[in-house]
Amino acid sequence: MEFLQKIIISGLMNGAIYGLVALGFVLIYKSSSVLNFSQGYMLLLGAYIFWFFKGSLKLDLLPSLLLAMPAGFLMGTLIERIALRPLIGQPLISMITITIFLSLVLEGLVSVVWGTYPLQQVHIFSRSSLKIGNIVLTTENLFAFGLALGAMLAIIIFFRYTRLGLAMRGVAEGHQIMQSMGISVKRILNLSWGIAGMAATIGGILMGSTLGFQLGLSHIGLLAIPAAFIGGLESPEGAILGGLLIGLIESIVSGYVGYAAGVPVTFIVLILVMLIRPYGFFGLEKIERV
Amino acid sequence: MLKLSNVEVKYAGAILVLRGVSLEFREGAIAALLGSNGAGKTTTLKAISGLLKTELGEVTAGAIEYQGQRIERLGPEQIAKRGIIQVMEGRQVLGHLTVEENLRLGGYIHRNNNSRQDLDMVYDYFPNLVPLRNHTSGYLSGGEQQMLTIGRAMMAHPKVMLLDEPSMGLAPLIVDEIYAMIRKFNAEEKNTIVVVEQNARTALSVSEYAYVMENGRIVLDGPSAKLADNEDIKEFYLGLSNLGEKKSYREVKHYKRRKRWL
Repeated sequence: MEFLQKIIISGLMNGAIYGLVALGFVLIYKSSSVLNFSQGYMLLLGAYIFWFFKGSLKLDLLPSLLLAMPAGFLMGTLIERIALRPLIGQPLISMITITIFLSLVLEGLVSVVWGTYPLQQVHIFSRSSLKIGNIVLTTENLFAFGLALGAMLAIIIFFRYTRLGLAMRGVAEGHQIMQSMGISVKRILNLSWGIAGMAATIGGILMGSTLGFQLGLSHIGLLAIPAAFIGGLESPEGAILGGLLIGLIESIVSGYVGYAAGVPVTFIVLILVMLIRPYGFFGLEKIERV
Repeated sequence: MLKLSNVEVKYAGAILVLRGVSLEFREGAIAALLGSNGAGKTTTLKAISGLLKTELGEVTAGAIEYQGQRIERLGPEQIAKRGIIQVMEGRQVLGHLTVEENLRLGGYIHRNNNSRQDLDMVYDYFPNLVPLRNHTSGYLSGGEQQMLTIGRAMMAHPKVMLLDEPSMGLAPLIVDEIYAMIRKFNAEEKNTIVVVEQNARTALSVSEYAYVMENGRIVLDGPSAKLADNEDIKEFYLGLSNLGEKKSYREVKHYKRRKRWL
């Protein structure tokens, strides 16, 4: 019983982070219909940027965090500006292909600058733990979970209630319509990539602080893809729930069946969900008027 | 105020669509642009609003002047910010957004938040939209969607509003209602409105001045009332023969008169 509780908790913790990364994925898909396969590698780079402030420059925790977020935003906008903007107006598939190869470039960049060995772990939160009943929660886990949920909530509120969020949803519907109203599609896309970069950075920091800063962090991006698809590619709420679900499945399967089975089973679940609900649980159905 | 001189437009650097179009729109008036399919009406509007550039089109010769400044090289966003707003053909709503969200995006370029006031203005013009404000716009009827796209453009308080076939696929009663509102909007805001239409009768009755396009050229222009009396317009656009009667189909092999302007 205690084993199950432990598994569920760690599944939810990881799931929140998958959800956060999936959120970045959704953000970009929502405003530009581009599947960003490099999301996991943006997470990797974001994590290393944080390590640069904290580990290399030896800044305190708070300033490092505060610097890493805008740096992550900048990373996203730069990627958009350099690699994707020239392709606006070209077939979508060319942009999607670019994101696949972008992954390799980002991974290469990290290994050239920081090497391929795992870096020293940075603990963001105190190592104390909390006992509720007979469940032990480390404050680290709790903070990671809280931060991930907080970031998600902020993004959902942003989409629903702010002017810019509304404009982003509009851009997803049609670029030409938005331009006819005087709204700069380029600027909006650039900002979406920035926010996605920031979400990836937060995910990367949280993951890095528990797993250590290593190249393997990018695999989380792989799990964010089923999370986003299951939740529905256009839905921030769906991304979170999808993330939690994927986290749970992964952790339960790896706990009871075997470590290696965790990731493949999540993809089997993805296929099953796609068969039943092709738009995911909260995705937007194509509107067809008859 | 808005003036096109010898504008030539090419798509993809090869297909010549406009061959030297010259137009001048008077401030505060409604003007109509008539013509059959492929005459270049939509292209003319897109050349003015800059949306041409999103479709590999380009103004290759001539000038478009607005308030004394050349605008043919500006991007669509900059042109819209100067007050020229195009309502595209085919009821282009942002389908997954609600009616009110669509309208709010229409007013996006005005940062000084009068949005509540502007929304009320649009709901005043189109009271049909009030009960639908929180509905997903993609599921509205054709007439409601057309009202929404026009209302969305009104939110921007355009100095020049370019309307591309607002009557397309709508019932005559709804067309009348929409045009009545366009006329009221013109009277209240004192702005310039350019209407592109295939429905010549409606367009001539609403507008003050009209241009007729064919094959990428302006072939005829004049005050709308005068054009409505023109023999050629009557025969080729209003479906009336020279005596002002309905065309007789008994004499099917009747001599087809050449259009004089060609």
